[in-house]
Amino acid sequence: MPEKENDRTIFTLLEVTKSIQKTLSERYKSSFWVKAEMNKLNLYPSSGHCYPDLVEKKDGKVIAEIMANIWRDDYQRINNNFLNILKEPLKSGINILFCAKINYTPENGLRLRIIDIDPSYSLGNLEKEKQETINRLKQEGIFSANRILQLPLLPKRIAIISVQTSKGYSDFMQIIETNPWGYKLFLMLFPALLQGDRAAETIMNQLIKIRKVIGHFDAVAIIRGGGGDVGLTCYNNYELSKAIAMFPIPVITGIGHSTNETVSEMIAFKNAITPTELADFLLQKFHNYSVPVQKAQETIIDKTKRFLKDENLRLFNSVRYFKSITGNLLIKSHNEIHNKYRSLLQLSAYFIQKNREYQVTLMSGLKRNTQLQLSNRHQQVKQTGLIFRKDVITYLHRSKAVVDQSVSQIRRGARFAFVGFAQHIDQTKIKLFDKGLNLIRNEKREIEVIEKNIALMSPENVLRRGYSITTINGKVLQKVEGVSIGDELITIISDGEVTSVVNNIKKNE
Amino acid sequence: MNNMNEKPNYKEAFDELQVIVSEIEGGAISVDELSKKVKRAALLIKVCKSKLTATEEDVNNILKELESTEGL
Repeated sequence: MPEKENDRTIFTLLEVTKSIQKTLSERYKSSFWVKAEMNKLNLYPSSGHCYPDLVEKKDGKVIAEIMANIWRDDYQRINNNFLNILKEPLKSGINILFCAKINYTPENGLRLRIIDIDPSYSLGNLEKEKQETINRLKQEGIFSANRILQLPLLPKRIAIISVQTSKGYSDFMQIIETNPWGYKLFLMLFPALLQGDRAAETIMNQLIKIRKVIGHFDAVAIIRGGGGDVGLTCYNNYELSKAIAMFPIPVITGIGHSTNETVSEMIAFKNAITPTELADFLLQKFHNYSVPVQKAQETIIDKTKRFLKDENLRLFNSVRYFKSITGNLLIKSHNEIHNKYRSLLQLSAYFIQKNREYQVTLMSGLKRNTQLQLSNRHQQVKQTGLIFRKDVITYLHRSKAVVDQSVSQIRRGARFAFVGFAQHIDQTKIKLFDKGLNLIRNEKREIEVIEKNIALMSPENVLRRGYSITTINGKVLQKVEGVSIGDELITIISDGEVTSVVNNIKKNE
Repeated sequence: MNNMNEKPNYKEAFDELQVIVSEIEGGAISVDELSKKVKRAALLIKVCKSKLTATEEDVNNILKELESTEGL
């Protein structure tokens, strides 16, 4: 109860707030529908309750604001409705039509308790936004900007904006990388969020990044998949759609959903419904290039073969024709040559015959001439011989006379020489005889002198002059040695011998 | 077609190949010419086919390039 003090009634805060609660609950008994923009959803995941911040704007300015709450069960029901109808969860930044009650508690103050939200209202709003984006892009003349670009004949180098772990990405990669034709694509991932509030922003950031290395790529592929049909409103975002439309190389999309095309997909160079289809689209480009090349190769081989075959046939026919013509010519020439040969043979035989006859005539003439010459010569020789013989005989006679004369001369000379010679010998004989006689006389005189001398020297004459000879034992004694006292010595003298005995021996010093 | 000795890029090769095919299909071609054309076609086919199966970019190079631009 309120206190009373100096005419003032003083309430506690609880009394006041309880009073407000009571008044409001009596005044706002039923729920009512309100439209507002949900600035922030403020979902608390732990409790499951939401505390949305609701605003109403006019010309961009907030002219009303109130806090609200959605209890867990309500939130789950509402969110499911949204997902079913909008393909989007309940999220911040959308316009909602909601059923609410005014709720006031002393602890938390005034809150609008949201019991229900009408998804079709929000859907209409999203559609309106989407339409606005389309209109704006068209007005700015960039709606078809990306679609009129030229995709290279072979889009080989693809920058991929996707999530590494998503099914769409792996499907896409698998189809490209295991293609049975061996086509090689260069794929580089630029990771981004692909659904929800932050998707537009991260995708745009990656587009900016790719733009920096744009020279390395032929196209950008935005690939999403496996995320169901929810969270796609980001692709209607004006900023993102513009970024895609204005991108300098083709942007191809495989976002993977069954709902209406988003603006991003509409303005993309090519939109494939699924990542798989997008991969096939790229491979098809390779086929479009490869198949004609293959066909060209086959055609060229085939045509060339046929052409060569035709040429061969033509050549063969030409050769055959040539052969038959040249064959005929050869036969003709051959016959001509043969005929010429025969006539030449006849002619030469005739000439040879004639020649031979001439030769025979010539030979016989020659023979006759030679014989005649020979007999002439013979005659000449014979005559010469006769003359020669006569000369020789004459000469011989003359020589004999000369020789005879010489012989008698020699004989006379010899006889005369012989007589002279004999006289000379006789004279010499007489001279030799006289000389010999004188010589013998002289010799005889000399020998008589020598005989006288020798007689004077004989032992008998010596002994007669007083000399003696002493012997010992029959031998002449000449030396003292070998003589002993008592030895018998015989001394020979001129008229006999004296025997003596040795009684003294004296040797001369 | 401008310069027979020049190695064409894959698109030029593709176009030139089509021209050669139509020429050969046309049939008004001599043996000598055919030989030249077939040789040329073989080169073009090689260029085309290698384009289909070659890899020409390197992730690391692109990353390096990105890093260097991020500093600016």
